[in-house]
Amino acid sequence: MDAFYAAIEQRDRPELRGKPVIIGGENPRQVVATASYEARKYGVRSAMPGVRARQLCPQGIFVAPRMAVYVAVGQQVREVFHRFTDLVEPLSLDEAFLDVTGSAALFGDGPTIAQCIKREVFSATQLTVSVGVATSKFLAKVASDLRKPDGLVIVPPGTELKFLAGLCVGRMFGVGPILKAQLLRAGLQTIGDVQQQSRIALCTAFGRDLGERLFVLANGLDDRPVVTNRAQKSIGAELTFSRDLTTREAARAVLRQLADQVGRRLRKQGMRSKVVRLKLRLPDFTTFARQQAIAATHVDQVLFGAACELLDATWRGHPGIRLLGLTAGNLVAAGGSEGVQRCLFDAPVASGKSERLLRAMDAIRDRHGEHAVRHGSERSGTTPFGPAIDSSEPQLLGWRKFPLGDR
Amino acid sequence: MKILCDRTQLQEAFAIVSSVVPSKTTKPILQNVLLTANENGITLFATDLEMAVKVQLEAVKVTKEGKVLLPARECAALLRELSDPTVTLDSTDMRCRIESGGGSFVLLGENPADFPEEAKIKPGRGMKMPAGRLLQMIKETAFAAAREETRYAINGVMMDFGGSCLRMVATDGRRLSISYYNLDGGKGEFKALVPVRALATLARAIPDSSKEELTISVGDKQIEFAFGKAHLLSQQLESRFPDYEGVVPKAADTTVEINRSMLESSLRKAAILCSDDLRMVRFEVQESALRLTAESNSRGRADVSMDITKKGAGGSINFNPDYILEALRVCNLDSVRLDMSDDSMPAKFTLGESFTYIVMPISGT
Repeated sequence: MDAFYAAIEQRDRPELRGKPVIIGGENPRQVVATASYEARKYGVRSAMPGVRARQLCPQGIFVAPRMAVYVAVGQQVREVFHRFTDLVEPLSLDEAFLDVTGSAALFGDGPTIAQCIKREVFSATQLTVSVGVATSKFLAKVASDLRKPDGLVIVPPGTELKFLAGLCVGRMFGVGPILKAQLLRAGLQTIGDVQQQSRIALCTAFGRDLGERLFVLANGLDDRPVVTNRAQKSIGAELTFSRDLTTREAARAVLRQLADQVGRRLRKQGMRSKVVRLKLRLPDFTTFARQQAIAATHVDQVLFGAACELLDATWRGHPGIRLLGLTAGNLVAAGGSEGVQRCLFDAPVASGKSERLLRAMDAIRDRHGEHAVRHGSERSGTTPFGPAIDSSEPQLLGWRKFPLGDR
Repeated sequence: MKILCDRTQLQEAFAIVSSVVPSKTTKPILQNVLLTANENGITLFATDLEMAVKVQLEAVKVTKEGKVLLPARECAALLRELSDPTVTLDSTDMRCRIESGGGSFVLLGENPADFPEEAKIKPGRGMKMPAGRLLQMIKETAFAAAREETRYAINGVMMDFGGSCLRMVATDGRRLSISYYNLDGGKGEFKALVPVRALATLARAIPDSSKEELTISVGDKQIEFAFGKAHLLSQQLESRFPDYEGVVPKAADTTVEINRSMLESSLRKAAILCSDDLRMVRFEVQESALRLTAESNSRGRADVSMDITKKGAGGSINFNPDYILEALRVCNLDSVRLDMSDDSMPAKFTLGESFTYIVMPISGT
């Protein structure tokens, strides 16, 4: 989809049409989620800090994201895709690979289906989509990015090498600013320049794995199939703070919340995690990521414990913390017959009692919201978002003012 | 400085000392070995600031006393390659000439004055024991220590001495290994959490079943092992070690005696067909047999039985086979004992007169 979030806002709020609209980034420390094409002219890009976006485009209109709406529209778009093939591999909310090889007899060839999809997406959502039609996922992705917005680029079979040759090396996925600079230094400006290199030369210059990947991509040898239900690899959550955290207690309080969130999602999806990853960003944007193997678990307390060990091992005498993230990786299904490796020193957590406690907490949160039940430890001290339990929350005091049997 | 010495002896001593030399460091000077020659012979000394090793050699002819820093990697490689029985080292001004057979080599070193000094610990608490016995205890425990870098709390072996008994304990939170040594009339007490790496280095320096006496001295933050002409000094880990005595099961519903080599070979066979996600072998204690089963959805099934003698109720329990195999590898008994109760409670393996191993099972939720 073209500037998906921004396009939806412009569709729903006519006064925004033709104006530089920036979704996200209204707080100086938040990042830009999407910028409309009008805003992109000023150099505003996704993932750019709000401060920078404001410098580049002072007249930009900053809009808070409405994720629920975007998810719903994304669903509508995906429904259109599914009219043409069952082989749909979503990349994100608004992007997907479609394998239409088997649909030709029903709907016509690739370019024809692409036209139909563009039409039907527009009639369903009044939004434009850019499509690339090619013989591999990599080429289709590159082609779809080439003529945004509302583009349609077709790479006929047999013309792949020629199509790629003229493009900048930065178009290859996995080639970020640093690798791009390396390639330019090596005199490789276009994908065509890379095509001139032998596999061995690339591997010698960039290492075996990277060299191999560059060779495969530049020569359009990507043969990955379209996978409809990719197994989820990890579940994670992260928070950027409006003010840097400075104490271990505050960091632990955040990890406690993140562990609760991640544990809850693991349980919801019937998964267990065997690796806990901590992401920690310092005020100067130095980012650490460390991980630790654990026995397969979906217990908040175990995730929290591992995260705290990682925190202690990572955050040593640094001034503050800008961002904390917790990811549960290496997921395995929590099959009924499968067991868990028991631990010697944290037996209480592994007991059936705590399992029942977690289920009960999940049930309460399902019914009454995420903050309906909390850990006792959160009562003391403050979280980075204010007092741990603030007075603005509903308090069960009111009914006492009307004692029964007053008269 | 100028010395003449036996090449093999020097090479062996150098190998022990250079195992401490860090391969990556922010202080490149630590990648050297300090050689000091005086009227008593020579000493080799290396450190990574967390531990230090010193080895003395006496069978040396010292022509001129002095000190030199030798680059560890190059010097060790050179000593390995030389074939002449003797070697001459002659140093002037931070460079050292090594001559042996027809070859002559010059190694460029750094200033010996810049090298960290040997730390001394206040003698106080400590004990003595045969070196070979400590080697055995290290083998019986070190493998069970946590390897993950971040679990530093248990990334060491606890040496707990008191009541004339030395207990060495290691755990990674899922299994725990305890080895005992009883002294006649030892006195004093100490507790020290020793990094696994220090013990591994020490183990390399001790020949199997050595009867030679080894002295352990414990300071506030360091621990020293002195054995023959070798000294190893290590920082103690400062973290708290879990309460290990609390997890040793005191009673059991079922006690089984199993032939060790049978168990080891059967378990190895069963382990081939464990699933990748969860390495697990089921131990089923029947009337006079132990049945081991494993299953992998994608590869197949294993089912192995062996004779046992059993006391108690019987039952079944699941273990990670690797935990048990690692322990059996360092067990010398013909027959091992397994005490177990519930399939979610710790099980106890008796793998030697003074070697106990606790393993947590894998069980359903």
